Amino acid sequence: MNRVFKALSDPTRRRVLQLLRERPMSAGELAEHFPVSKPTMSAHFSVLHEAGLVEAEKNGRTILYRLKMSVLEDALLGFAQTLGWNPKTPEGASPPTGNTGEKRRPLKSEVRP
Amino acid sequence: MIAKPVSYYLSPALLALSTVLAAENWYLRPERAAAWATVVLVLGCMALALLLLPRRRPADSNEGEAAGRRSGDSIRRGIVTAGLILAISLSAKLAATLGVGGSADLSQRATMAIMGAFLMFTGNGIPKTLKPLSALRGDAARAQALQRFTGWTWVLAGLTLMIIWLVLPMDLAQLLSFLLLPSSILITVAQAVRLCRATAAGGGSTPGQSQEEPCSPY
Repeated sequence: MNRVFKALSDPTRRRVLQLLRERPMSAGELAEHFPVSKPTMSAHFSVLHEAGLVEAEKNGRTILYRLKMSVLEDALLGFAQTLGWNPKTPEGASPPTGNTGEKRRPLKSEVRP
Repeated sequence: MIAKPVSYYLSPALLALSTVLAAENWYLRPERAAAWATVVLVLGCMALALLLLPRRRPADSNEGEAAGRRSGDSIRRGIVTAGLILAISLSAKLAATLGVGGSADLSQRATMAIMGAFLMFTGNGIPKTLKPLSALRGDAARAQALQRFTGWTWVLAGLTLMIIWLVLPMDLAQLLSFLLLPSSILITVAQAVRLCRATAAGGGSTPGQSQEEPCSPY
C-alpha cells in the first residue's frame, strides 16, 4: 500500500493514470502529454508498475500501458487529485502537467542507477 | 520454502468452528434439525473439497502446476469467505438462542452485512483482473471502461447492502436489498450492452486491436 501512496503522490503520475482511464496507451503517446524527458517518464512508469497500478504489455515494437487499479485505488486517485495531494515532493520539483515548454531535471529518486 | 497463504490455515479452522457451532445449535434447537443438517452437509462438502485440493509443493515450478496452485488458493479463499459467513451467522444464532445479547434477527443482519462486505471485496478487485491484450476480443478501452463500471457498481451496491442491514428496520432492509441486487445486475448488463453498441458503431481505439468481434469486451 505504501508503494501505491508513493505512486499517487506525484502529479505527473496521477495525470498518467487519468490518461489511462480513457484507454490503454503506448509509452510514446503518454510521454507526448508531458514536458519531461523520456528517461523521467520511464521512471514514472516504473514506479506505477511497481505499485501495481498499471500493466505494461509489449505490442510489436511498442509498450502498451493499461490501467490496473482496484476501485479503492481509483477512489484514492480521485481524492489525491481533488486535494492536490503532494506530501513529500520538494517545492517546484514536480511541475503541474500543463505544457510549460520546459523540461525539468529528474529527481534523485527518479534516476535509475 | 514457499510461504503458505493465511487461507491455508484459516479454511480448516473456520470449517471446524462452523461445525461445532452448527452442532451446538442443533443440540439447543432440535426442532430445526433439517436446517442444521443442511448446514452440516454443506460444511462436509467444503471439507471434502479442501481435502481434494492439490498440496503446495516447493517444486511447483512449471506453468501447469503454478496454475493448479493458483486455482487451489482461489478455492481456499472461497472456503474462507463461506466459512466466515457461516461461523458469524451461526454464532449470532447461538447467541440469540442462549439469550446472550442481541435480538433474534441479529443472525440475518450479520449474514447480510457480510454478504455486502463480500460484494465490496469482489467488486474492488474486478478492474484489476486483466486479460492479455492479445487474448482480448474487441476494444480494450471499452473492456476497461466496463470493468471499472462493474467494479464501482458492485462496491457501491455492497456498501449500500451493509448499511441497509446494519441500520434500517428488518422489513425495509429486506425490501431494499430485494431491489438493490437485481438493479445492480441490470445496470451492469445495460452498461455492457451500451458499450457493445458503441463499439459496433464507432470501432475500437486501441492500437493493434482487431475489429472482427466488436461486441465482446471480455
